[in-house]
Amino acid sequence: MSAQLQFRDVTLGYDRHPAVHHLAGDVAAGALLAVVGPNGAGKSTLFRGLVGILKPLSGSISLGGLDARDIAYLPQTADIDRGFPITVFDFVGTGLWRATGLFGGIGNAERKKIAAALAAVGLTGFENRAIGTLSGGQMQRLLFARLMLQDARLILLDEPFNAIDSRTSADLLLLVKRWHAEGRTILVALHDLETVRAHFPETLLFARGPVAWGPTEEVLTPDNLLVAMRMCEAFDDSAAACVADPQSRAA
Amino acid sequence: MLTAALITPFTDFEFMRRALAAVIALSLGGAPIGVFLMLRRMSLVGDAMAHAILPGAAIGFLLYGLNLLAMILGGLTAGFLVAILAGVVSRSTGLKEDASLATFYLASLALGVTIVSVKGTNIDLLHVLFGNILAMDDQTLLTVACNATITLIVLAVIYRPLVIESVDPLFLRTVSRAGTPTHLAFLALVVINLVSGFQALGTLLAVGLMILPAGIAKFWSRDISGMICAAVVSAIISGYAGLVLSFQTRIPSGPAIILVAALLYIGSVLFGSVGGVVRQLFPGRHLEA
Amino acid sequence: MRGMWLIVFVAALSANPVCAQDRINVVASFSILGDFVKNVGGDRANVTTLVGPNGDVHVYTPSPSDAKKNADAKILVVNGLGLEGWLPRLVQAAGSKAAIVTASNGIAPLKVGSEADPHAWQSVPNAKIYVANIRDALVAADPPDAAMFRANAARYLGELDALDAEVRAAIAKIPPERRKVITTHKAFAYFAAAYGIAFLAPVGVSTETEPSARDIAALIQRIKADKIPAVFLENLSDDRLVGRIAAETGAKSGGTLYSDSLTGENGPAPTYIALVRHNIKALTSALGN
Repeated sequence: MSAQLQFRDVTLGYDRHPAVHHLAGDVAAGALLAVVGPNGAGKSTLFRGLVGILKPLSGSISLGGLDARDIAYLPQTADIDRGFPITVFDFVGTGLWRATGLFGGIGNAERKKIAAALAAVGLTGFENRAIGTLSGGQMQRLLFARLMLQDARLILLDEPFNAIDSRTSADLLLLVKRWHAEGRTILVALHDLETVRAHFPETLLFARGPVAWGPTEEVLTPDNLLVAMRMCEAFDDSAAACVADPQSRAA
Repeated sequence: MLTAALITPFTDFEFMRRALAAVIALSLGGAPIGVFLMLRRMSLVGDAMAHAILPGAAIGFLLYGLNLLAMILGGLTAGFLVAILAGVVSRSTGLKEDASLATFYLASLALGVTIVSVKGTNIDLLHVLFGNILAMDDQTLLTVACNATITLIVLAVIYRPLVIESVDPLFLRTVSRAGTPTHLAFLALVVINLVSGFQALGTLLAVGLMILPAGIAKFWSRDISGMICAAVVSAIISGYAGLVLSFQTRIPSGPAIILVAALLYIGSVLFGSVGGVVRQLFPGRHLEA
Repeated sequence: MRGMWLIVFVAALSANPVCAQDRINVVASFSILGDFVKNVGGDRANVTTLVGPNGDVHVYTPSPSDAKKNADAKILVVNGLGLEGWLPRLVQAAGSKAAIVTASNGIAPLKVGSEADPHAWQSVPNAKIYVANIRDALVAADPPDAAMFRANAARYLGELDALDAEVRAAIAKIPPERRKVITTHKAFAYFAAAYGIAFLAPVGVSTETEPSARDIAALIQRIKADKIPAVFLENLSDDRLVGRIAAETGAKSGGTLYSDSLTGENGPAPTYIALVRHNIKALTSALGN
């Protein structure tokens, strides 16, 4: 299988402190990869680097020819203005941006797609509701519906099942598997190990740097998990410049 | 009797017809901008901008004297600089839009006051720059009309990304590069509307007819396109009623229009169909499902 | 021989204080008063003006350098009649011991509503009273030069007499039914009273009040009804408003009338006499046949 994503010794972080430290490896096209790690491990940072919001401190990430419109990203905390006067229908419709651009009309075909997306997440009948009236779980379903409409080849989900009920998460997980079956590459950051073991064939155990990467049963061993847990959460202000960093080597 | 009060002022006097035309043009251009300003929590930007344009107008005055065109162009330049710098800074750093704008407009105002006092004249430059709705000559009317046209066209173009950017900026940033240009285009529209509004109609009307109708519209619609329509309509009604009020009493025209808008606003707060106080207090029996 | 030189030396020394007292420091509140003082004081008075050419004396904000001018002055010449609302604080702040001379003393003021109209200098006979008051103040403050001041004043008063005659002759040439104009600034009441030309204006006494639609409509109706021939602008206020009124009534736009301040050296009204001459020329060419 060809590699969709390549991490080329990439370091991502804030204010020179690394949150993702020297990650190297490939993600195959069409993979379903769980990114697992404790709080503060750098999973969200990794996704931000993939999407392009965060520039690497060193190294690079290759997206295998994908551009921004081929990637769908669901952040952990969405900075969405819930008070904004927009209906569920219109909000989900923005997922069609790739197809419609600035001026493309929303015709019958598009309406059908939107209706199908809403049905897939169980929000039929909510079309004219303002987004501010939705519950947390309904909002998450809404974001999934929008994601569906984006029809992206690479999907990044950052802790998508936090703070929603188990029935909703089960439904949404089914959706993820459906997308995987359609040949899309999917990375999901999680910390619920049961779900990972049950549904994800491949796992990257991550704690600021890669701890283990491969088939799930081989990665999620007690020893590996212990190593990951020991990772320190706070950035070390007295840390020296990293010797493996090519810039410091040159200096 | 009623016709006499409502229609004849406009049939009898040309300055009234022109004032009404100006108010309609201002409503068409300014009210939609005001809705977005309010939703993006930038309602006070109008006042800030009125001060920010001072150094530009001052430089225009220094170079060309009391030449209105020079001062307007100077004001526009200063306004653009402040708005765009504030926009760029807030997008590339963690500083939020309102703080960014506040710092730039204050710096701009201080610069303007310094320039004026170095020249050593006490002419109230901004007073000269700001106009009056009852004084609509051909040139000013044309400016206001052009302004409204440009605003509507640009707004139609950037409508979709502007809405997305206002509700979920991160999403837009990840799917498209249209975010920053849209934001800057919107700021440019704000500056154009404000500066030309100031010089045609004075600060009170230019800012007032942007922000008050947006506040009114919030209580009558749940959806952004409905809000924009409600804002435009309430702006036109305020303008019309305000002009009639100024004609029948001795209230100056600008304040009269804004007072009517304020009354409409209070009425909306109380009786509006979306979140009005009276509806909250007396919701009626709850529904079956 | 040496004694002779000593006497000469002592005489020279004691003569110095007399020379140093030559120029008396006078501060005038605005340019027109400054012009009067210069004409009476000649080169025995060092005159500085607070509100310079083209400045607006109604809304002036004094600066620290003005306080300094005040502190050094022996005499402060003011208009009075409520013109310089900003002055008392400045005087207090400057801690000045200058004698304050109200140039309009002895003039029975015309009224605007319940307040006095301060523009008393607009009639030349009043201007003569101003000059007399200034002369008396200078004489009292600097007795050694009294003869000089009296001579200057007498000459200047003669010029003002000639000016007055000029004005009356010019107005006599205008047909009586055409002796009425519109202007933006209610500053010509004294001129009107002295010379028989009616001045109508859409805004109040200061440059700050805004008109209502009713005021404008009433003015337009009056112009049409009375067939007022001309409209004049003032060098400080909203000329677009006046232009609009002119366009709607068919009245002729007569140019600029100067009222509250002199213009700069190169302008048409660098002295009081030039100001009055300019105004009367503008009036006669607009109103004459």
